[in-house]
Amino acid sequence: MKLELGHIDIHDIQFAAESAVKDGVLYVNAEAVKALVLEEENLKGCQLEIARPGESVRITPVKDVIQPRCKVEGPGGVFPGFVSKVDTVGSGKTHSLRGCAVVTAGKIVGFQEGIIDMTGPGADYTPFSKTVNLVMVCEPVDGLKQHDYEAAVRIAGLKVAAYLGELGKDVTPDEVQVFETKTLGESFTEYPGLPRVAYVQMLQSQGLLHDTYVYGVDAKKIIPTLIYPTEGMDGAILSGNCVSACDKNTTYHHQNNPVVADLYAQHGKTLNFVGMVITNENVYLADKERSSNWASKLCEMLSLDGVVVSEEGFGNPDTDLIMNCKKIEGKGIKTVLITDEYAGQDGKSQSLADADALATAVVSGGNANEVIVLPKLDKVIGMLDYVDVIAGGHDGSLREDGTIEAEIQVITGATNELGFNCMSAR
Amino acid sequence: MSKLKVLQYINQFFAQIGGEEMAHIAPELRDGPVGPGLAFNAAWGENAEVVKTIICGDSYFNENLDKAQAEILEMVKSVGPDLFIAGPAFNAGRYGVACATIATKVHEELGIPVLTGMYKENPGADMFKDKIYIVSTRNSAAGMRDAVSKMAPLALKLARGEKIGASIEEGYLPNGIRRNFFDKKRGSARAVDMLLKKLADKEFETEYPMPLFDRVAPNPAVKDITKATIALVTSGGIVPKGNPDHIESSSASKYGEYCIAGVDDLTAETYETAHGGYDPVYANEDPDRVLPVDVMREYEKEGKIGKLYDYFYTTVGNGTAVASAKRFAEEFSQKLRAANVDAVILTST
Amino acid sequence: MHFHFIVVTNNPLVRERFEGQVPLDYQPRTFAGILEYVRDQIHKGHRLLSHPLSGSVKPGETPYKSIMISAEQGALDTDSVILIEDCIQHAKKFRDRISGLSERVLDDFQLVDCNLITSAIESALTGH
Repeated sequence: MKLELGHIDIHDIQFAAESAVKDGVLYVNAEAVKALVLEEENLKGCQLEIARPGESVRITPVKDVIQPRCKVEGPGGVFPGFVSKVDTVGSGKTHSLRGCAVVTAGKIVGFQEGIIDMTGPGADYTPFSKTVNLVMVCEPVDGLKQHDYEAAVRIAGLKVAAYLGELGKDVTPDEVQVFETKTLGESFTEYPGLPRVAYVQMLQSQGLLHDTYVYGVDAKKIIPTLIYPTEGMDGAILSGNCVSACDKNTTYHHQNNPVVADLYAQHGKTLNFVGMVITNENVYLADKERSSNWASKLCEMLSLDGVVVSEEGFGNPDTDLIMNCKKIEGKGIKTVLITDEYAGQDGKSQSLADADALATAVVSGGNANEVIVLPKLDKVIGMLDYVDVIAGGHDGSLREDGTIEAEIQVITGATNELGFNCMSAR
Repeated sequence: MSKLKVLQYINQFFAQIGGEEMAHIAPELRDGPVGPGLAFNAAWGENAEVVKTIICGDSYFNENLDKAQAEILEMVKSVGPDLFIAGPAFNAGRYGVACATIATKVHEELGIPVLTGMYKENPGADMFKDKIYIVSTRNSAAGMRDAVSKMAPLALKLARGEKIGASIEEGYLPNGIRRNFFDKKRGSARAVDMLLKKLADKEFETEYPMPLFDRVAPNPAVKDITKATIALVTSGGIVPKGNPDHIESSSASKYGEYCIAGVDDLTAETYETAHGGYDPVYANEDPDRVLPVDVMREYEKEGKIGKLYDYFYTTVGNGTAVASAKRFAEEFSQKLRAANVDAVILTST
Repeated sequence: MHFHFIVVTNNPLVRERFEGQVPLDYQPRTFAGILEYVRDQIHKGHRLLSHPLSGSVKPGETPYKSIMISAEQGALDTDSVILIEDCIQHAKKFRDRISGLSERVLDDFQLVDCNLITSAIESALTGH
């Protein structure tokens, strides 16, 4: 499977009478976008705001971040299973509006979380302080249940991202990247001297607000399976995950999976990147056993020499991570794990809820409990009234002078376990 | 900012007094920098200066631990430095233990910022890296320039009470406290690099070493306990009264081997515990509570066991480095095996 | 219908939703109290069937916890002992910030916990 991914660089978003992409500016007709959002019958209002890098703006509580993309050639459309039909995506041509993002915000639940600061010390921790963001604060109809609200905001965000992405369909990209994964048979003859490597991605799948979707299917219902790495670039994997801002994978992260990108960068040079396995992180222990058995079996069937395994979340998924590691290593396949840490505010506690001697190679996205003070910013998009109870916040975290003292786990994407950031811990 | 006053501790070798033959010398306080102090002064320029140097023989320090520490503490008090630097000790074992011991003492007793440096396998590192900052150096004095380049800036930060970054940034040995920092490459690229090294069987360093406890697979059961020779081994510090081999009350550097042939009961008159860190009253009243010789003799008489082995092995577990404990056990296990001991009962405090 | 599991919970919503439907052991205890109670049950021979630290809502934030254990009591299951002990240790490092939560927030925490255990119940009802 081969995908040409064309990046169109966007340096600004502006509201305008007509939506268009022109000279690196994304012009947005706010009314058209609102109309699209309000097609969701469970949403009664939508406030649109633009947040630019360096502005004194705080966005909270963030639900998801999505990159506008569209299919230019090839089967299917973006976000299959939700916005498009379930055709297999990941081949042909896709255009991506690089440097911008759609951010959905709103308090789905009372402890809804996620802060994006566009400037100041908090901005260093989130990748979304570097993108120009179109923020959608979506208001539910009265009495709406939390899971219906989550679904409505999720789908509205995807539709808006698809709508904006479509504006780039006829624009000439600033850069085109080509990614190709051959069939299993071809992969054996293509680079016979190089180690066979795959990526095992663990998807959050514990229940309400902890969900990931694959072609519209709830990931907790899947059996670990094979997927072409390019499928994710067209939105085949997307986030329904609202909890633990720092280490949840937003849809943007799935679209721009850095492990996929960095394995492709080495493909044919130092390794043979033969494919990707997706697995889940269920609550039921027998599900964990089954899924890790299956993931390791798929690695064996692919005749791999090594894998990178990425986790999503904390606690429960630590058990899946270690099970995957043990069983894959048990097949004689070398593993590197990517995780983050909860070592306590003083950094002295044991970081993970599980451990094993076979986990000899671990990359850390940092200690999520480390405390940060975020200064008051001029403008808040969304609402601050739940900062005290959001994950990692604590009593008094919203001080009278408007500064927030909190653990970095409140910051969207801060300790991402796909290895999206440079941060680590020692 | 005024120049920070630094006091440095070095051994007889780095003071160019002599090698092992001069290791017995008692602590001495000299004006100005001696040996490595010159390099530190050069690195600090106007920011800080070694104003006095304490020189002490390694044997003197380690063999007269309490006395040496008291003498050195008095010297430190008399100087009243802003910062105390010990070493660097590289791979010199006794020097490393002395540097780390005295630096920890100075920090704990006087509240003065301290820093030392040594090779990661120096026993002093394992014993004290959780207590004070120990800069990781090369394994010989040829690495002095590198050691000074890492220690000098960290020392300034410590003396000024500035925020200390992650171990990898500052150059100190990981001390169990996880700190965030921004690496040059993103995590996914680091993961791919690590995988390539692992695949090529090259050396790589995990970013999060798993906290693992040694799990020892149980041996098969003793076939016939009524015929077995059983030995007693303890980390509870039980020793003949007077502690003839001077096993340290903490961070033990040795173990003892004592004969109990013909001994039916350990009494307050004949045995005691050398162990610090717990209330020793009950152990001293009746040392059998830690090393149950009395019960073993009863079992021996009743035929429940074959024989109690004639010697017991003992050390103090309090703060003793895992590496030291392993070394002790490797030695006395050989002796136990040579004596055809079938099983061992291990007791702690 | 024969059930092979019991849900231990301190969550009123779980009780409301599943009472009479599946075997419930409602224990009005703290979050840590539930973990310790489950540990005790494990020492009586029950096995853990769901992960005690399910969910990304951290210990110390939510007061609610539901955990599924086996109905059957057998020999002590060491895997369960190790897992529950690891979880008890892990939970201790989070600061307690539960006091003063509003009704709305408490309701939402109940809902999330209820959904997490529901996903375990669905798995348990379709297979072992």
